[in-house]
Amino acid sequence: MALPGAVGASLVDCTTGMALGSAGAVPGGDGEAAAAGTAEVLYAASARAPFASARPHDAVEDLIVTTASGYHLLRTVPVPFGSQLVLYLWLDRPDGNLAMARRRLAEIADDLMRTPPDAPAGSAA
Amino acid sequence: MPKTGRQPESAQPGELLSQLADEGETGTLYVDGVPGGTVHLIDGRVSYVESPAAPGVGTLFTASGRLAERTWRAAVEAGGADHRVGPLLVEQGHLMQSELELCVLAAIYDAAFFVLTPDAVPVRFAPGELHWLGRVVEVEVAALERETSRRRRVLDEILPELSVDHAPVTPVRRPPVQRVVLTAAQWELVVHADGRRTAADLSHLLGRPGYATLQELRRLSAAGLLRDTMEPDPPSSGGESSGEPSAVDIRSAEPPPAGGDKSSISTTAAIRRQGGPRRPRHAAPQPGSPDGAGSLPATPDDAFLDRVRAALKALR
Repeated sequence: MALPGAVGASLVDCTTGMALGSAGAVPGGDGEAAAAGTAEVLYAASARAPFASARPHDAVEDLIVTTASGYHLLRTVPVPFGSQLVLYLWLDRPDGNLAMARRRLAEIADDLMRTPPDAPAGSAA
Repeated sequence: MPKTGRQPESAQPGELLSQLADEGETGTLYVDGVPGGTVHLIDGRVSYVESPAAPGVGTLFTASGRLAERTWRAAVEAGGADHRVGPLLVEQGHLMQSELELCVLAAIYDAAFFVLTPDAVPVRFAPGELHWLGRVVEVEVAALERETSRRRRVLDEILPELSVDHAPVTPVRRPPVQRVVLTAAQWELVVHADGRRTAADLSHLLGRPGYATLQELRRLSAAGLLRDTMEPDPPSSGGESSGEPSAVDIRSAEPPPAGGDKSSISTTAAIRRQGGPRRPRHAAPQPGSPDGAGSLPATPDDAFLDRVRAALKALR
């Protein structure tokens, strides 16, 4: 994996709690449960906690959970159609660089949904 | 290797699908029943699933504004006969491969939830029949089945009751609580639930996955905020002792965001009575709302703020 200290990563559809793809290890070893849990955490932050809606047009960008042994990063991926996706990254604490990982995750999220620059006019309404 | 079409038989769709997958079949499985739908196989793997209860890829892309209606229609016309509408949209630069794949994947699992019922229904397999979308992603039948039953479990954990899944839905006239908090997705549903639209209608109208709509409708139903139109309105617990009907005042902390469910919005529905409230208004303080600002817990006193400032300073 390109990031130092990265233990595992996954892309989760938060509207359904389903993992769309994953790499490396998942906490607890159960991918299905981990994806459902990831979705619940994002739901709690964006739907239950008022700080995500403090201002109009504000939205959760990322969530960072630190534990004694690791960092857990969640980065929302803006999807124009239907679902809410989130990128999840698990970093080993001694080797991981939180700031670098956060920046890299944001880049990956943007790349996932970036409109091709040469899109002909009329492709977006 | 075209085979003769199998006669309609009654079977559990998932069981027959597993059999077809094992045989590496290519073709379309027609599933009858309500809502029913079709499952499309290429070499024993699922390439697409359609159901009237789940918006298809076209609806998802056009309702969200990601693709113009005419762009979508042109692609279906140009690529439909060759069964390659999906790849064509990428070749023409209208979509990125990644977003097409994600959308198709989501649509497959979404429709499968409705098509792969645990009941035995009339089914028919048409070998060799391909879908116009073409090959974009492939899903294993076993994965589809596993995910479908997981989703069924999750739905029942929210509220083990089907009433809002199929019937037209309507918001209750008076919420059973004094403070109502909705997500943006829930707000969209409440605003568009007019007593005639069903979950499927709302999904298509809003361009949201069918399963996501069921989840939110069940959550709203569990909270007593929305009901099946056929059901009588439950009696209000708001106390209508005074002859004057209560005014329901929905005060929004902020305007609903224009673009989808990125953020959640919070509304306060306060039931006011003529002649002064019996309880002080601070029952539901809202930061930023003019009414809440003056009441007790909404604004912490200055001493408290000073303590927080000092604590933060000490961190640096």
